[in-house]
Amino acid sequence: MSELRAATLGYAVLAATAIAYLVVYTTSLGHLPTPFDYLSLLNTSLPLVFVAIGQSLVVLTGGIDLSVGGMVGLGVAIVAAGSTSGAAVTAGWMLAAVGAGAACGAVNGLIVAKGRIAPILTTLATLSVYSGLALKVLPVPGGEISPAVRSVLTDPDVPTGLIWLGVAVAGWLVLRRTRFGMRVYAVGSDETAARAVGVPTVWVKVGVYALSGVCSGLAAVFYVSTTTSGDPNAGDSFILTSIAAVVVGGIAFAGGRGSALGAVAGAFALTLVIDVLFFAGIDPLYQSLFQGLFLVVAVLLGSLVRWRRA
Amino acid sequence: MMLPRYAKALLALALLLPGTVACSSEKATPQESKGKLKIALSNSFIGNGWRVEMENVFKAACAMPPYKDQVDCSVFNAGNDVATQSRQISNLIAQGVDGIVINAASTSGLNGVVQQACDRKIVVVSFDNTVDNKCGLTVNTDQVKFGEQLAQFIVDQLKGQGNVVMVTGVAGTGADNDRNAGAKKVFDANPGIKVVATYSGSWDSATAQRQTAAQLPSLPKVDGVWVSGGTDGVIKAFLEANRPVPVVGGEAENGFRKYLAGVTPPKVNGMSIGQPPFLSVISLELARAVIKGEHPKTSVTIPFPMVTSETVKVGETVFPDLPDSFFADFTDSGPNATVVLCQEAATDGTPCPGKTLAVKLG
Repeated sequence: MSELRAATLGYAVLAATAIAYLVVYTTSLGHLPTPFDYLSLLNTSLPLVFVAIGQSLVVLTGGIDLSVGGMVGLGVAIVAAGSTSGAAVTAGWMLAAVGAGAACGAVNGLIVAKGRIAPILTTLATLSVYSGLALKVLPVPGGEISPAVRSVLTDPDVPTGLIWLGVAVAGWLVLRRTRFGMRVYAVGSDETAARAVGVPTVWVKVGVYALSGVCSGLAAVFYVSTTTSGDPNAGDSFILTSIAAVVVGGIAFAGGRGSALGAVAGAFALTLVIDVLFFAGIDPLYQSLFQGLFLVVAVLLGSLVRWRRA
Repeated sequence: MMLPRYAKALLALALLLPGTVACSSEKATPQESKGKLKIALSNSFIGNGWRVEMENVFKAACAMPPYKDQVDCSVFNAGNDVATQSRQISNLIAQGVDGIVINAASTSGLNGVVQQACDRKIVVVSFDNTVDNKCGLTVNTDQVKFGEQLAQFIVDQLKGQGNVVMVTGVAGTGADNDRNAGAKKVFDANPGIKVVATYSGSWDSATAQRQTAAQLPSLPKVDGVWVSGGTDGVIKAFLEANRPVPVVGGEAENGFRKYLAGVTPPKVNGMSIGQPPFLSVISLELARAVIKGEHPKTSVTIPFPMVTSETVKVGETVFPDLPDSFFADFTDSGPNATVVLCQEAATDGTPCPGKTLAVKLG
């Protein structure tokens, strides 16, 4: 299955929301979106893009990672609490945040694979643990990062964010073609068969959860960079939105089918929906209703096509 | 291969959506009313009574003079999601508003986008859960003082001797931290006071009641309760456990004040202060005044509306016909009131008949 086909649903949804965005924006303001709009859209989407890639990997093995909320929160707390002086120190703490994510993710993976506990239970429990750690590291929102860091990661005036988006996409494309990447799909399609042909399923799973942690750590780095400071509860909203991005991206929850690129497109689509509702002038009270409807329609379309094909 | 089928359906959806809402958007944004300031309220979430009242009094104020003739208001909610609120503020910048009034989903999470607004000479005023970025103005109360004032009242009533329980708010928020710090400072300074339990009620009456009910059996005699929010729930838990209701220092829930006034028996001895929902109106006034050059670009701290079991007045600071969960401090009272609003402004967001709003920025 080619990368393009695997991510079709995500691309189609993204294209549709992008058209809707252009239409409502132009009718509401009388001109096309400006570079400011595209840039702020890119920068606010980046953290979700990273979490969604990590979530995709886990879902591809047939699992789910609810602890992304805790891992992003912990990462944000580490970066924000440590970044009191200079760009070099901040860079160090950013590495630490990614490392912490990897460690937390590996713990998830070990419990899921070695302990044979359902991913949803495991990560629900570790979500609390990691969120608690985040509160311990940074009890109240705060911290400040140097403008130098921001201008490298998510400059509000120059699209440096595009570089990182490119790196993320390229990273996925490479990973997909490695032996590890193949094994992720093998485990997700049929774990027993994969084990029978000698795939070390335990270590594939540990690797996948650890990578999800790394992605959460990276998301935390970009979160702190766009917001310029930290909040220990920052991760909470990523739990549902990352799963939503995966769903919109057309990745099968049974595992083994789909592409993280679909989830990346899904992440952008979810961010665009907020803007569409804004410029459409929808009553604030109905906004979450429409966001939910959007999800339902996207999922229904996905399963409709799959059902027809079957 | 499957692309066309998806694309067609989604395209139809995409074209349908703006079509159906076009009519509603026209009346929501009155086009280019000359000379009026555009001020938007960006609220993080609308999931509790306080937020509803806060938005209602904002809408009511916008429909009353002088705002009616000077300001075009709009209101946005972000579902407590920093990314959503950040997008909404970006979009407000794109719209070219003159002022943005914010109750933030995260005190630090909006720093980036608020800086962008400031760079474009938009006046940003945040209140309640304020934005850290120093380029914006804030309207708030002193949360440390909230903790201190209630704790001091309890200490005074107990004459410095007794067991006290602390029911805290949502952990990880600035207000919760400040309130707790203020209370602890006072309790620590009084060696006769023993804090026998501290637990979170999450600023929610039902949660506070449940937590209190769970804690009570293991607690010794309780002489005082300090509550950051969900006060009526805490009192109900004491009543249900058949324990005497101690001295209570709590928030401004109407249900709590009903006990203070004796409207709901038994009459409770206590003090009620609260974060007033009309902070949104003060912020609106500050934004308007700063844009018009009538007020210097400085932040504002307003005093807490406060009542005790002695001073609480039916119809003025407690409302028997309104639900327990209603925040009774939607209006200030007394000769030095910051702003006086009517009941329908808080319940329905409708303007107080025949009234011109006067807001004291202190």
